[in-house]
Amino acid sequence: MNQLGFVRQTVAYVVLLAVTFLICFPLIWAFSTSIKAPKEVMATPPRLLPAEATSANYRNLITGKEQYFRADQAYVPTTAAPQHFVSWFTNSLIVSGASTLISIVISTLAAYSVTRFRYWGRRIVPYFSLLGYMIPSIVLVFPMFLVMAQLSLVNSLWSLTFGYVSITLPFCMWLLWAFFRGIPIELEEAAMIDGASRLRVFVDIVLPSAAPGIIAAAIFSLIVSWNDFLFARVFINSIENLPLTVGVMHFFEGTHVDWGLMMAAAVLMTVPMAILFMLMQRHLVAGFGAGAVKG
Amino acid sequence: MHVSTSTDWRVADDRIGILFIAPFVVAALVFMVYPVAESVRLAFYQHNPLNPDAAAFVGLDNFRAIFADPLFWQSFRQATIWTGCSILLQTVIGVALALLLHLPLRGISVFRGLLLFPYIVPTVVIALVLQWMLNPDIGVVNWSLRGAGLIDESIYWLASPNMAMLSTIMLNVWKYTPFVTICVLARLQTIPLELYDAAKVDGAGAVRRFLDITLPQLAEVLVVVVIFRTIWTFNKFEEIYLLTKGGPGTSTFNLAIYSFEQSVASLKMGVGAATGVVMMFLLFAGSLVYMRVFRFASEDA
Amino acid sequence: MSTRTTRRKFLADLAAVSGAAAAALPAWAQQKSTKTGTVRVWGEPGPYAGVAVDAMNEWAKKFAPGLAFKLETLSWDSVYVKLMTDLAARNPAHCISVESPIAYQLMADLLLEPVDDVVQKVGRNRLIDGVKWEYWGAWKGKQYVLPAHHQPHLLVVRMDVVNELGLGNPDTWTWDDLRNAARTISEKKKDMAGISLALGRNLCTDYHFAALLHSAGGRMFDVQNKFEVVFDSPQTVETLEYVKSLQPYMPKAAVSYSFLEVVDSIVTGRAGISFYWGRPYGRAAEENPAVFANLQSFNHARHPKTGRRSNWNDFQGWCIPRPNNQYVEEVKAALVYYQTSQEWLIRYCHSLMPNVSPVYKDVLSAPRLQEHPFFKTKKDTIMNYYVNSLPNSSSTGNELLRGVNPLAGVVHGRSILAQTVQKVVVDNWKAPDAAKWGARELEQVRKDNLRLLQIVT
Repeated sequence: MNQLGFVRQTVAYVVLLAVTFLICFPLIWAFSTSIKAPKEVMATPPRLLPAEATSANYRNLITGKEQYFRADQAYVPTTAAPQHFVSWFTNSLIVSGASTLISIVISTLAAYSVTRFRYWGRRIVPYFSLLGYMIPSIVLVFPMFLVMAQLSLVNSLWSLTFGYVSITLPFCMWLLWAFFRGIPIELEEAAMIDGASRLRVFVDIVLPSAAPGIIAAAIFSLIVSWNDFLFARVFINSIENLPLTVGVMHFFEGTHVDWGLMMAAAVLMTVPMAILFMLMQRHLVAGFGAGAVKG
Repeated sequence: MHVSTSTDWRVADDRIGILFIAPFVVAALVFMVYPVAESVRLAFYQHNPLNPDAAAFVGLDNFRAIFADPLFWQSFRQATIWTGCSILLQTVIGVALALLLHLPLRGISVFRGLLLFPYIVPTVVIALVLQWMLNPDIGVVNWSLRGAGLIDESIYWLASPNMAMLSTIMLNVWKYTPFVTICVLARLQTIPLELYDAAKVDGAGAVRRFLDITLPQLAEVLVVVVIFRTIWTFNKFEEIYLLTKGGPGTSTFNLAIYSFEQSVASLKMGVGAATGVVMMFLLFAGSLVYMRVFRFASEDA
Repeated sequence: MSTRTTRRKFLADLAAVSGAAAAALPAWAQQKSTKTGTVRVWGEPGPYAGVAVDAMNEWAKKFAPGLAFKLETLSWDSVYVKLMTDLAARNPAHCISVESPIAYQLMADLLLEPVDDVVQKVGRNRLIDGVKWEYWGAWKGKQYVLPAHHQPHLLVVRMDVVNELGLGNPDTWTWDDLRNAARTISEKKKDMAGISLALGRNLCTDYHFAALLHSAGGRMFDVQNKFEVVFDSPQTVETLEYVKSLQPYMPKAAVSYSFLEVVDSIVTGRAGISFYWGRPYGRAAEENPAVFANLQSFNHARHPKTGRRSNWNDFQGWCIPRPNNQYVEEVKAALVYYQTSQEWLIRYCHSLMPNVSPVYKDVLSAPRLQEHPFFKTKKDTIMNYYVNSLPNSSSTGNELLRGVNPLAGVVHGRSILAQTVQKVVVDNWKAPDAAKWGARELEQVRKDNLRLLQIVT
């Protein structure tokens, strides 16, 4: 019997709850700060639940609080950053989506090719990809920057897209290769003997079977692109072209930091990733399990 | 009438095979091979990004410069300490969490989701939140510790070399332990229950069962995970830079930050690239170890 | 009925005023431009750059309707990254407002347009007493930078605390008095550090340390003697030791402090004394009126031997990058328009009192300048920033005002001064060793950038 005794179960739940609370605390605290008014944010001792919750920080971010300067006012204390938040969010979406799409398409085709055909060099591909996955981005950033500079792509979302392809493609390739390897060939062969074309077989039979792997790779790719800082820092110059990761650091400019606003931005930045993760948790675990352990 | 013979298939097939792999080959050359090759080339040049036309070949000078630079060796030492502590903590905590999440409880999948969540949180977010929480004057961590009577006065988490190192280790452990947990959990789920039942019949206690059955089964996964995470952690940039920028002073510098500073602050892209080459060399050495062990382990199984 | 009359009269008046204003502009600036596009302007974080850009857009509406001036703010800690990446991509802004060390570096690298024609139109004799055009940026006989403002940092003091503890008049303090005051405050006041300075690896530390070094008579480079490094000197050692002796009376986290944290410490009342530019006043007025009421700024404490009271003044100016700049003429015209408009210059100063100090005589003496609420209670402090700081002003790019040094930008990019300070306050090195280390780093900077100095070896 694998059921634990009642006492053991209770203890287990208590431990689980405590551990979960501790690990999730940073995000809990960020949310708590983001719904407080500025005076409460700076109040000591800090309290978890605000006396008066307010959505002002979120509203300011989403509506893009007005340009902070007005010539006829003696002093205006807010920073300029909030007005760009929506642009940053959009940029992150666009760039993550585009680079993921590119990486997935390339990897899916390549994985199928490498596992179904014979030609010289096909065995190297997965290990080459794994090696590529381990190259730290600091090595890639500056050479790519110099190329982008020559192509006049610096400060455009395209440069980021290409940068992200370079860090997502290797692992997608590795993951999908592992997946495609596990899909039996018999179904395809049978279909082809029956007269179906290779492309038809690919679309109708193989892709559906590979769907979990493709989804896992897509999720991985989206997460990596959304979270990157280094490429965006070096490639993008003007404040409205930044993605969220670098944009949010702009809240430190000026002479004071609005922590409530910054925590609201942090929360909003994490929400898409959290949603993605919650929905696809099963696929992610399966993908990692396959890629890292079985390989 | 055209009869579809098997030879027809193969001819069309081969073309499709090449067609499908072509985008990858192109992308790999452009986005993977080229940057690495260019990085290696830059390592032998003196390149000031503000004056690119004056770039000149300097042979091994960049390498001589970094090997003679005390900051390089300091960064290397600190990277080793940082990596060692992080991996140790990640492995111990990761295994413990995996055991916890393996329990047959109702609703365990909810907890699994929540505990694996740090992995997908952007590093920027956790760095900012940590800076806020660790603020010596109004941060919640100091207030809670003082309130619980554990400390008398605020700890300056990011202001002294040792504390800054500790804080960056904490960030790294928080973010990447889920990776270890996922891998270990996946493996735990494949251990046949009969082994435990047999051991219980033999009178083995929980600790004995863990040491004799679980741990050996996990050994292979753990070795792979540890090597993998070591290679990965040694070269991390954002986890340290976003929290301390390598400071205070240079006490949390690692090789990635050293390379970044050389390229950006000192305007010496050649030296930055040379550091990158050293990092890649260490990485290949590590991955050779990984392949050797992996082949060894899979031969065993 | 009456409203229509009033409105008609108002419009007539407006037309008359506009006509007069337009007529007051030189014919040169009244030419129209048919170019279209966005003119990128870089500025510091702060409302004042926005004022200037508003002024330039007013010019654009009249004379270049197809153009729009757009402000991009550079955060202080990323100035050099942004500069490097934009310049490396051969895509800098069309107009930059920067601190003089950076301007000097750009200037020497021949990356800027000369602006002597603009100086002519703005008025060569208009500068306030005590400054020269070169302070903002002149190189080999040409002017490259137009003054935006000057910006000294002074001794910021909580007078209520000083008076309560009987510490005397800060205007008379020497280095020893300053240290004594810091110690007394630390000991006697709970939750308040004696003095708050930046000791982190950043620009603010560079500036704080430089002021003290210059007061002691020390320098980094000798401009008259081929820019030789003279940092390894008794003055440097003395300054490092002085900072170390102040450390016990600083907030414990000072070793990670930059601009932000120092202002925070003043405004929230956690420090009794600091070195800072004018920003704390605006923030205190908004957030902590009790602190605001008691804050006052003075010239720095005197060095016991040299008697100097050096402050670091950034002499911030407008410059026009050359590479890929298709709007040079338009930027020049807009700058002339803005700099010949007393109203806009006053608004510029008012936007962040008393951080940005006026540069032209007519602006300084305009009654309208004093129409700001701060003038009621902080007149002495304001005049200290605006005028009385000038005899003591110095800059890392122009040490002790003895000559322009383009290497300062590189020094700041690598935080060499801050790192030297940190060797002493974080790594506990002896001051002479740290001075030697700093000197070696500066030697390297000099060696790497000989082309900027146009010295033949």
